[in-house]
Amino acid sequence: MVLLDPTTIIDILLIGLSGTLICLAVHFIPVGGAPAAMAQATGIGTGTVELAAGSGLVGLITSSYMYAYEPSADVYLVMAAGAMGAAIMLASTMLAGGLIYAYGVAVPFASAQVKKDPITGERQDIYVSKGTQGQGIPTICFVSGVVGAALGGAGGGLIYFVLMGYYTPLITTHAAAVAGVFTMGVFYVNSVIPSYGVGGTIEGVHDPKFKRVVPKDVFTSAIVSMLCGIIAIMIAGGMT
Amino acid sequence: MVLDLTMSMAVLALLGALATIAGCLEDLESDVGSQSNPNSQVQLAPQMGFLHRIFNKAISGEPISNGMSAVTGGVVTTVLLNAKFYPLTAIVIGAFIAAVIYGIFATTSYAGRVASQTRFKQPLYMDIMRYTTPSIIAHNFIVCFCLVSIAYIQYAVLGYPFTIPFLALIWGISVGAIGSSVGDVHYGGEREFQNREFGCGLNTALSGRIVRRAESGLRNSIDNVWFCAKFGGPATGIGLGLTVFFSSWPTTIWGYTWKAMIVGVIILAVMTIMNRLVEINVKNAYGPYKEDKEEKEAVSVAHTH
Amino acid sequence: MSDLKEIPPNTLAMFGISGGLLGIYLSPLFPTAGALGAICAVIWSAEAVRRVAKYGLGTGVPSIGQIAMGMGIIAAMFGLAIVKSMPLAGPILALVTASIIGFIIGWFAQNVIKMKIPVMIRCMTEIAAGGALIIIGFSAAVAGNFDFMGSIIPKVFDNGVMLAVFWVGAMAMLHPFNACLGPDERQKRLLYLAGSTGAITMAIMGIAATMTLGASGAATLILGIILWLIFYKKFWDEVYNDAASVIGTGLIPKTEA
Repeated sequence: MVLLDPTTIIDILLIGLSGTLICLAVHFIPVGGAPAAMAQATGIGTGTVELAAGSGLVGLITSSYMYAYEPSADVYLVMAAGAMGAAIMLASTMLAGGLIYAYGVAVPFASAQVKKDPITGERQDIYVSKGTQGQGIPTICFVSGVVGAALGGAGGGLIYFVLMGYYTPLITTHAAAVAGVFTMGVFYVNSVIPSYGVGGTIEGVHDPKFKRVVPKDVFTSAIVSMLCGIIAIMIAGGMT
Repeated sequence: MVLDLTMSMAVLALLGALATIAGCLEDLESDVGSQSNPNSQVQLAPQMGFLHRIFNKAISGEPISNGMSAVTGGVVTTVLLNAKFYPLTAIVIGAFIAAVIYGIFATTSYAGRVASQTRFKQPLYMDIMRYTTPSIIAHNFIVCFCLVSIAYIQYAVLGYPFTIPFLALIWGISVGAIGSSVGDVHYGGEREFQNREFGCGLNTALSGRIVRRAESGLRNSIDNVWFCAKFGGPATGIGLGLTVFFSSWPTTIWGYTWKAMIVGVIILAVMTIMNRLVEINVKNAYGPYKEDKEEKEAVSVAHTH
Repeated sequence: MSDLKEIPPNTLAMFGISGGLLGIYLSPLFPTAGALGAICAVIWSAEAVRRVAKYGLGTGVPSIGQIAMGMGIIAAMFGLAIVKSMPLAGPILALVTASIIGFIIGWFAQNVIKMKIPVMIRCMTEIAAGGALIIIGFSAAVAGNFDFMGSIIPKVFDNGVMLAVFWVGAMAMLHPFNACLGPDERQKRLLYLAGSTGAITMAIMGIAATMTLGASGAATLILGIILWLIFYKKFWDEVYNDAASVIGTGLIPKTEA
């Protein structure tokens, strides 16, 4: 049985790990959903799934380009390239979004989940406007988001790296297309599962929700991603 | 590295410029039809008794709908390039077909959503349908043209390993994600609730009570674009432009090395500091909503003495 | 609304699975059949999305279409790739694999993440299976058959058409409910809209197939446009029936607010 080979098992575990990284990423990114778009909740004013996917896929573009043009690149460098691309996408988004909150809607940034920002130590509660759950993107959310996007991009880069290692010897020129599509499939499965877990909104690492939902979401994602890993390697078995 | 440094910087600058246009127009397109998160208020309004004349473009979330338009444009462009069309013609035709299909989805979502609000007596205005849909198609055409052009340049000039539809799809998802996180706040947080005091924050109790009257007559979606084009759209453009530019800039200059990654980290640190500066500036300029209790007591004690 | 007669889920599931598989198996003879089969699967899974998304998912309707296609594409690649000696088993194997993945994710969503949606497991299984059929059906319409190594990789993956199958297929599935969301949503209107979105996807696949297959791609394109016209017209008839009023222009009617 090919599946019991130690390198195969390690690869399945690596795909499981990358799915878990994507799942974790969703929890780190401060997403306020529809309320945040009306400046009624802290975080970015859109859905968890698309933000994680949007940043992670930009990471996939940068990491795949590196994989194609730097044959000597090791897995860490490919993951770092993915992490950088994704983190820059999310940081630009939050920076531009912050400008709108600051000068378009004219509300000070404030988190409703903590009394003081753990990084700057500034009071948050007095800046929360009446009848809302905070607004804007305070420093802690910004940092948490950058870290989260980096995790997601690294996860995407890792799956791509592992799959390319499998498919390139078998189908040479077609490998990038197949590995890319498969990565996208795994990406979507793993960004939707935790979105259901957090119920659509989370402020980031400091949110009390974080501790509550991370274990069960990560457990689910790890199992599902390893299943995907087994499938990916069996697909390679069908290519010979 | 396919090109020399000067040429690859020029290409990168062009990509950044195209991305900025795409981002700006994407946000305006989502305002002209009222899409994504702020649309929850347009959807809620009839239930609160606020019937309105605003287009309800609930195709899906912005990343998904823009991804669809971009990938359709990418596929049609690939087909035409395969049939030996000149690239620019191929991209224009591809973007046009994609934009028309996008417009069809827009009409079904407006008609479908309004027909599902019968009990609130919300009428389906056919004039809104007739003159908003072409505007949606026009905006989306520009977005799709820019995104497919980016994908074409990355595929044909820079030699990315993915195909045009794949790259177009990813940029479509990103432009939608950025548009709904940045520009939509200007539409949802300010324009829809313009009748309250500027900067007072938006109490959840106001939900669904959107502004329905314009500077002249009844407000429709075209009035919203006019407002959001002043700030929301350009800010979105900057967001996507920065993303496209800075996600490739370090590796273009320093190659595929750890040095480039360190430069990436420095860019991230600079962005974090800029966000912090905005935060400080805004907090100092506007001040807190409620005074600190202990401080207040101290002040009142000081006054009595 | 409950007083109106609705088509029961089992009937639609039968329609989607049998129509989808029939279309896929006929596609080597007549590639357009693959797309027609996929439209059956679109109608079925759009209704499954409706049943589960009615409960409110917390992240909007589109997320479920995305996860459906994510599961569908993984299962479709697996099912088609693994059967080397007997390619005819591919689509059925993909359908079964998708159902298993959907069941597992549905079970986790219900019991580990605790979403408390009674139809979660069933609907997740249905939309994953539907997603796999949509992907195989539309791919077969572009590739001419469902041989993974021989046709689908060079004709659908390499040129990137797969991404359109993946994304526009997801849109065809999630748009109907997202566009009809509201208290007076009705199944009949949603099913016509699902037919319309499926037919648009078919037309796009037809454009792609003119590149890979030539003349039979043009047949898919033309038939797709004709089907779209029919379903779109039917959808508008329902809108005229259901809407409070359809007016050319006018002021806002007076209400209490």
